[in-house]
Amino acid sequence: MASISLKYKSKQGNLTAPGDVDPGAMIPIATVTASGSATYIDFTSIPSNYEHLQIRAIARSTVAATEVGLLSSINGDNGSNYSWHHIYGNGASASASAGSTYTYMNYGANIAGANATANNYGIFIIDILDYSNTSKYKTFRGLGGTDNNGSGWVQLGSGLWQSTSVVNQIRLATGGGNFTSSSSFALYGIKKAGA
Amino acid sequence: MAYTYSKIATVTVGSGGSSSIDFLAIPQNYTDLVIKFSLRSNRASVVDSVLIRYNYNTSSYTGRSLVGNGASGSSDTATGLVINGDSATASTFGNGEVYIPNYAGNTYKSRSGDGVQETNATTAYMNFSAHLWSNSSPINSITLVPENGTLFNQHSTATLYGIKAEV
Repeated sequence: MASISLKYKSKQGNLTAPGDVDPGAMIPIATVTASGSATYIDFTSIPSNYEHLQIRAIARSTVAATEVGLLSSINGDNGSNYSWHHIYGNGASASASAGSTYTYMNYGANIAGANATANNYGIFIIDILDYSNTSKYKTFRGLGGTDNNGSGWVQLGSGLWQSTSVVNQIRLATGGGNFTSSSSFALYGIKKAGA
Repeated sequence: MAYTYSKIATVTVGSGGSSSIDFLAIPQNYTDLVIKFSLRSNRASVVDSVLIRYNYNTSSYTGRSLVGNGASGSSDTATGLVINGDSATASTFGNGEVYIPNYAGNTYKSRSGDGVQETNATTAYMNFSAHLWSNSSPINSITLVPENGTLFNQHSTATLYGIKAEV
């Protein structure tokens, strides 16, 4: 008997079991929306069975500035085990900055501050590749920015966590103030090929 | 639920390294392709680049790139994306992604990509690029090679994904 494709089943509306649907390779793990004023956002107990992780977020801080840095630490490690680098542009020129042996990663000015236009949020996407590979230190890559209708920044950033441990917790914080309500953070797992 | 992001293949470099990472017989039924890579080469430097070749063709690639080194920004015409070289801090690997739209079409092939290289120092490199392959052939194979090194080191990985506009 010929098999019936998932595409056909979906269009006919006759899916018979959850196993009939391949959700694809990008799986939502958790979403956190700040309520009130949050000092930081934690993703905890991250499953280790994906190949990569990705964070997608919009964020605004209470700090009295138009934009502020996005910071991150991993697995509760507050030691001097982090380095970070970014290149950024402001609509007129490009610059770069870096830090090593820090106690956190800094992705650059991806968060709108309290002086930004009302209802304006910064945006960023962070990729963490091979996060469960115990032969590798973990390299993070982030792309994000804020636009404030006349000013703003865009940046490509990287971060190094000098540990071969599996990433099971990610903390995100602002470089000043707290996350405002409606700041929203989503963590995705990217499946392994063949999984 | 429709799915739009599908895993196709993963390559993990084994002991002794590998001179290339190959994705062959790529299905032609997706809209776009994505490659995520975590790479380190044997180049005796903190930095190298990965070159991405289609259909075993080594010519007709051009690009524009925004580059950072931890201290300043610049722009060049590189056609590679930054990865780690063998003088970077041990166990560190570059992290990057390339997006290839309309890979099965009959127009020239544009792509965007970014690569970052990390090491425990203030000098490290990254680039953000647009590349063009001036060839209208559908892409049915992709080869990744280090630009300056001769091997990708053990534990390097690359994963190919297909993106569907609809199912």
